Amino acid sequence: MAIFRPEDEERIRERFDALDRPVELVVALGPEETPLPGHADVDFGAETVRIVDELCSLSDRVTYRVEHDAPGLERFPAVLICPEGEDVGLRYDGLPWGHELGSLVGAVLEAGRAQSSLRPESLEALAELDRDLAIDVFVTPT
Amino acid sequence: MLLAYKTALASSRVRATAIESTEFPTLAAEMDVWAVPRIVVNGAPQWDGSVPEAVFLSRILSATFE
Repeated sequence: MAIFRPEDEERIRERFDALDRPVELVVALGPEETPLPGHADVDFGAETVRIVDELCSLSDRVTYRVEHDAPGLERFPAVLICPEGEDVGLRYDGLPWGHELGSLVGAVLEAGRAQSSLRPESLEALAELDRDLAIDVFVTPT
Repeated sequence: MLLAYKTALASSRVRATAIESTEFPTLAAEMDVWAVPRIVVNGAPQWDGSVPEAVFLSRILSATFE
């Protein structure tokens, strides 16, 4: 089953083709936590690979590879969003489906930009950051 | 979520991870996730809900987690 409607697929394809720099997605697979009731019949790892494979089929500017038991990761499956193949700290833990598929597409579009789309004042504030921050955003697919 | 990703892309001191709550219920319970998005900084829950960019940056930069 296709993950995008045809009209959305064409729009995403155009935007991926226009990326300033290529983006690589790394799908990390490994032991998965027992999910909540109702999810037991979903193979989260295989489904993540399927979604990422379909996403990357839209444009040569977005590619992916699969890693097994990648060191440094605690939760699987995970998707690392790497501008020009470099891990700069963007990750999605879990299956990016439903509403969160849009977050993954948005992450690819932003990672593919040469210039940040944040406002200048935000960039100025970030330039003065003197500590490391790990931001975790808990989401649901609906 | 996108604001967190943009922030991480704009600063090498920031990392951003989306965590699908229903797939990782143990961690979600530890972080007391009842509403989404729930924003956690350096392991400390900060707030729930989407906010504008200026508010997001302000809250992230002033987050306390010691």
